[in-house]
Amino acid sequence: MTRKYELVYVVSPEASDDQVTDLHNQVEAIVQRIGGSIEKTENWGRRRLAYEIGRHKEGTYVLEVLHGTGELMKEIDRRLKVTDLIIRHLVVRVDEAQAVIERTKARRTATSQRRRVARGLPADRQPGEGQRGDADDDRDDRFDMGNERGMDR
Amino acid sequence: MNGRKSFGAKKGGRAGAGAGAQGKDGQRRPMFRRRKVCKFCSDKIDDINYKDTKLLLPFVPERAKILPRRISGTCALHQRKLRVALMRARQLALIPYTAE
Repeated sequence: MTRKYELVYVVSPEASDDQVTDLHNQVEAIVQRIGGSIEKTENWGRRRLAYEIGRHKEGTYVLEVLHGTGELMKEIDRRLKVTDLIIRHLVVRVDEAQAVIERTKARRTATSQRRRVARGLPADRQPGEGQRGDADDDRDDRFDMGNERGMDR
Repeated sequence: MNGRKSFGAKKGGRAGAGAGAQGKDGQRRPMFRRRKVCKFCSDKIDDINYKDTKLLLPFVPERAKILPRRISGTCALHQRKLRVALMRARQLALIPYTAE
């Protein structure tokens, strides 16, 4: 049963670019050995950490999208845990969540198309149509301000 | 804001629900509040992703706590998804657990 997973790991800022690629190759090797595939790899580059991990304030983020079994992810997880250069990692299963998102999107477009047809309009949005103007909120009562600040308190 | 009044119920007529009719200092002041709407519902954001810090950060106020529903107006479904995304992002140090 192959599933889709996302793996993000944070590499210590002391690691050189070569070491980062080396880590990627290690992951790739495990994936190939156990029988999976890498859909894509993204290097987010060096970013500031929101909090210190150990004594690090920065880290290099790498994202990998993988297809594989639970056993594969277990092995990868184990390997990343013992790798000192990796200061944090996260494995998330994404296939189910993505299916839900697609279903919601499909349902929404279907509903809108059905309603549009019922109103005698073409099923799809025409360019330039349905742009919301400011008319929605023409009252100058300032009660719509401060939404960001949490007016309730 | 003193003396400013805004009559007429807002959309749905539930705008003032729960708001006290009296101010704290005992002065009478009708409280009307704009009905809060869920950002994710209105913007049709289906995917609340832990990688999307730009989307998540408005829900993390100064003290780095998760903004409660009663303030942000997020609907229950999206608040749940938001919470999961925030917790994942925290783990990866994309957003803080606490403010020091």
